Amino acid sequence: MTWVITAVAVLVLLTAYVTWTAGRLDRLHARVDAAWAALDAQLVRRASAARALVPALPAGPAEQLDAAAHEALEAQEIERERIENELSRAVRLAVPHLPPASDLDELRTAATRVALARSFHNAAVKDTRTLRFRRLPRLLSLAGHRAMPTFFEIDDTALAG
Amino acid sequence: MRVGIVCPYTWDVPGGVQAHVRDLADSLLGLGHEVSVLTPVDDPDEADLPPYVVAAGRAVPVPYNGSVARLAFGPLSLARTRRWLRDGAFDVLHIHEPTVPSLSMLACFAASGPMVATFHTATTRSRALQVFGSALQPGLEKITGRIAVSPAARRVVVEHLGGDAVLIPNGVSVERFADARPLPGPNVPTIAFLGRIDEPRKGLAVLLEAPPELVELVPDVRLLVAGPGDVEDVRETVPASLRSHVVLLGLVTDADKPRIYASGDVYCAPNTHGESFGIVLIEAMATGTPVVASDLEAFRRVLEEGRAGVLVPVGDAAALATALAALLADPDRRKLLAAEGHDVVQQYDWSQVTARIVEVYETVVAAVPREHAVDVDHDVDAFADDLSEIDDDPGRLSSALRRWLSRTP
Repeated sequence: MTWVITAVAVLVLLTAYVTWTAGRLDRLHARVDAAWAALDAQLVRRASAARALVPALPAGPAEQLDAAAHEALEAQEIERERIENELSRAVRLAVPHLPPASDLDELRTAATRVALARSFHNAAVKDTRTLRFRRLPRLLSLAGHRAMPTFFEIDDTALAG
Repeated sequence: MRVGIVCPYTWDVPGGVQAHVRDLADSLLGLGHEVSVLTPVDDPDEADLPPYVVAAGRAVPVPYNGSVARLAFGPLSLARTRRWLRDGAFDVLHIHEPTVPSLSMLACFAASGPMVATFHTATTRSRALQVFGSALQPGLEKITGRIAVSPAARRVVVEHLGGDAVLIPNGVSVERFADARPLPGPNVPTIAFLGRIDEPRKGLAVLLEAPPELVELVPDVRLLVAGPGDVEDVRETVPASLRSHVVLLGLVTDADKPRIYASGDVYCAPNTHGESFGIVLIEAMATGTPVVASDLEAFRRVLEEGRAGVLVPVGDAAALATALAALLADPDRRKLLAAEGHDVVQQYDWSQVTARIVEVYETVVAAVPREHAVDVDHDVDAFADDLSEIDDDPGRLSSALRRWLSRTP
């Protein structure tokens, strides 16, 4: 009799643990999605702010920055890191060509927010991956068919405060 | 924004984290935000609590990490935390030191929604992290935005918790220090020191080794030493012939601290190691007193590689004496360093620091699923309700457990 009670107790606890872990995974994936949406919004904001500076630039750097900003605004998820990196580079090259009185506040704010949002996104990815690589979630494939979230790595230090 | 802040340590016991939380709350209120601070309070009737403080009960002294921490952790704290979270309807929850087993950890587990955590500690040997590291993870993974107050604190986050943290330094109320008047005293070249006088790493021993050479170079020099510790013990380490040059003040009030800095023609920070940030240097520079400091990583950064202050080799009393004497003899250089210092400290002013923290709040709110604000965690809520039911009738344990299971998604 005792072993039946023990077995039932173990089963109950295990079920509780599994459902709880599945809930945790759900929440973590939701966190990654929301963090990505926030990062995406800040990247778009940065590209718009960069584009707004184009008219103030001399011809060469203007073309480069405009092309980089345009590509960033059109970017899909594929090659997003490369495209955003190119925008960072274009911004870095363009800034010295700007007239001294140019208003860089919006671009600065956007760049700072990109750095923050990216840090929070990658922290969410890291937490999710850590749990997904644990034995139990892998064994029971608790994450279902959801894709493994990936880090977003770009150079976001240009102008970021 | 409606900001809920959780402070893990007892409000009416002085400490760095408490001071940080108080200054941040004041600064946020000044910017027009709404703030509520949940913290343990030992004696709510005696303590002069600001209106934004919500007491979460008494804290129990527990030996922790080699000292005594006063922690709040229990059913009463949990009940008050839940009520505070529910009534507060915060846009963002800001938890300080979430790895300290106290109110912060409790809030971390009990809450859901946009959460920010600030890591203060630079100790890599946190027992809580070693023992409970992975058990803390479910609570910590709800935190969207992490802030570290120093590179050392950031290193602790990266090494023990994984992932990164945004570096936002401690704030200093520059204005409070800028207006400080010197203490009454003789008009002689004065070197100020502030810090625990019985703690070797603060380096007072190095400074007290310097007087023979210092007196030779500056005959009327005065060493003004303030800070907690046994004054008599320290006095005995000073040779009798030099005692007239050393003024030991012992513990001074918070209100007098700026005046100690202001009384020095030079401020000396002879620390030997273990400084993660160097707030003393920033405070000294805010009063307009030039600094001579040990060449530690944290000090080098605050003094901008020596541009805003003089750096001397760590633990070298002779070099310290020479540097102090040279600066005391050079009023122009002192004026120059004071001006550099004034510029350097602006970035550490609470107005700047708070603006950066608000940026983190806004980014976090945007990066959290669902539109709603901070609330009590669904799981914790159901579980705590069931727990209180079990209290009333132990026979209902199984039905409570079953109901809780069915509610878990």
